[in-house]
Amino acid sequence: MKSTAVAELFIQHHLFEKTVILERNQYLKVGGSIDTHIYFIETGSLKIYLLDEAEERIIRFGYKNNLIVSIDSFLSNKPSELYIQAIKKTEVRVTTKKTFTEFINSSIDNLKLWSGILEDLVLQQIEREKDLLINSPKERYERVLKRSPQLFQEIPNKHIANYLRMSAETLSRLKNS
Amino acid sequence: MKILAEQLLQDLIEQSRSHLNYVIALQDLHEDELNERVHHDSWSTLECIEHLNLYGYYYLPEIEKRMQASNAQAIKQFNSGWLGNYFAESMLPKEQLNKMKTFKSMNPIHSALSKDVLTTFIDQQQKMLQLLSAAQSKNLESIRIPISINKWIKIKLGDTFRFVIYHNERHMQQAQRVLKQTAKAYV
Repeated sequence: MKSTAVAELFIQHHLFEKTVILERNQYLKVGGSIDTHIYFIETGSLKIYLLDEAEERIIRFGYKNNLIVSIDSFLSNKPSELYIQAIKKTEVRVTTKKTFTEFINSSIDNLKLWSGILEDLVLQQIEREKDLLINSPKERYERVLKRSPQLFQEIPNKHIANYLRMSAETLSRLKNS
Repeated sequence: MKILAEQLLQDLIEQSRSHLNYVIALQDLHEDELNERVHHDSWSTLECIEHLNLYGYYYLPEIEKRMQASNAQAIKQFNSGWLGNYFAESMLPKEQLNKMKTFKSMNPIHSALSKDVLTTFIDQQQKMLQLLSAAQSKNLESIRIPISINKWIKIKLGDTFRFVIYHNERHMQQAQRVLKQTAKAYV
């Protein structure tokens, strides 16, 4: 199920409780916090990263119509070291884990929806794990381009290069070849 | 004051996130606007922030050093020390504004300041967040930090975080008032 369809369902059932606006570079979440919210991006774009010896390592991006969750905190209710930062001015709709859980548990169909979302997430994670293990920068680039062509429209190169574990120069050479 | 250590750190992380976001947004304003003051002897927005940086220069390395040196186990519940609690609580801005005296070494008035002050504050908050995060596995009571004005007086790590972050909150609010009162049409 597409994230827009899930968001439609959230809207239908009035699950979104508020809207948050972030200016460019502002943080939705910082390392060390427990964040169990579910965010739906109305406009703008975000990066999710962790700090490794003061270096940013981007784990994921979010842009228009994506759902964004600090999934480690969401599942464990424990602090997560992930940061979520706005790349440009961004508006997100917010719901809480409690509201969402009540919704999920209210019918068998909703539970099926949730297990569908989780299955999808596991598949995405496995693709990402492959990305990280593949040695050739060219192959890493081509896999992500094939999987998420829109990413390259929404997110500046330097962030994508970080995500792909290559320099911005290498990425621009690959894009032009 | 008694509170679960995890809850205290979560509250402080959330406050620091909001301070960080506020100053990130200030970066979009014009430098002249940030240098405006209400009275000749009151602080501009940049001076409010610089005042906080002066505290950060002392406390952040001090906290980091003492945290690294301690292997004491984390505690579940945090109990404030009486002096630490007093210092921290006295920093919280009251509804009826309670003015405070500033130590001369911490007073940035009429120093020519640029927007670099904001970058410094942002770097400091990022450091602060890393320390708060690391403090989740540290002992907020047995680790003690000497206060900036008298190295012989030490307060608990948990109270030190409260003191520094409540002090940040106080001057974030002041900066907002200064901006509101000096607002002009900067385009």
